[in-house]
Amino acid sequence: MDIAELKAELEVLHSASFGWAMNCCRRDRAEAEEVLQTVYLKILEGKACFRGEASLKTWLFAVIRKTAIGEHRKNILRKLRWSDSAEQETTLVSPLEQPGVAFEKSETQALFQNALRTLPRRQREALHLVFYQDLSLSEAAAVMEISIGSARQHYDRGKKRLREYLGQTESAYGTSWRGKENPGAV
Amino acid sequence: MELVGEEKRIQALFSEVRLADKPITPSFAGVWNRAQAKTVRTQRAFNLSFVAATALLVCALVSLAWWVKHSQPQQGALIATAPPIANGGSIKVGQPARIDESAPPTGPRVKVRPRVAKSGTQREALLVAANQKATRDAKAIESWQSPTATLLESPSDALLKSMPQLNQSGDELKSFLPTKPK
Repeated sequence: MDIAELKAELEVLHSASFGWAMNCCRRDRAEAEEVLQTVYLKILEGKACFRGEASLKTWLFAVIRKTAIGEHRKNILRKLRWSDSAEQETTLVSPLEQPGVAFEKSETQALFQNALRTLPRRQREALHLVFYQDLSLSEAAAVMEISIGSARQHYDRGKKRLREYLGQTESAYGTSWRGKENPGAV
Repeated sequence: MELVGEEKRIQALFSEVRLADKPITPSFAGVWNRAQAKTVRTQRAFNLSFVAATALLVCALVSLAWWVKHSQPQQGALIATAPPIANGGSIKVGQPARIDESAPPTGPRVKVRPRVAKSGTQREALLVAANQKATRDAKAIESWQSPTATLLESPSDALLKSMPQLNQSGDELKSFLPTKPK
């Protein structure tokens, strides 16, 4: 696939990629944009090369995930190196206070986002890939570079924890989270 | 994937998130162009640093070559003017002078050409010539006699330079004693 073709494909997947980058960056818009730019840079420089072993979406999401993890590590190291109080104040602003996530101020969304934040990274990723990106569990497993069994475990545990978290607030919203399990999810 | 109950609710919540993400998504062209510009910048920076490193390397090599070329004759001249004798320049009379084999020959300065310019045979010929000259000089030093040595000679040299023997007769020894007046 030449770069022009790839560019066209990437453009189609751009909004989904940004959503996935947002999830990988704990809904930090600026960081997600930076990650996406780095991913495109990797593709342009040939550091990330699509060989057609998986679908383009799966491959792209795996690259985004890896890049986001790398950037997160770099940021942590940078913060440790330049750990001065003033900088910490500016960098440790809660994502809820950022303008890009203003929609989360609606109570349900705020609760939902808080619930997602309490989940371990893998569980959050599994839920996002299945519910937000409409991927199957096998595709999610490919993106997360784990076995399908592990992906299913993360998905089930994530769902359970999310239900528990949101169940605590069901009285406040008058909704019941105790639905039927879906045995044929995969 | 068929969704039931709570899963539908979760998906509805995720759909809300997706809808909320749409307006804040940066344009593809913007992100792509920034990435492209970064690539060009990185390449340019790499090129500049490569050129600088190459120039530095060339300078270092040229200066090294110059230094090697100009340091060799000076070294040769120093060797040529070094003292020929190893034991501080003093030679004892009657003792064979020790010649330092490693010392270069005395005499007029031998113009030593840079080592790199010499061939193997030339070097060998020079070495043989230098050794022959050193041998000649050593022989000359061995046969050297002081011009004032005769002034130091005396009639009693035989007595002073000889040891009395055990079987020498007493009369011969008495002859050396001063005679007492009777």
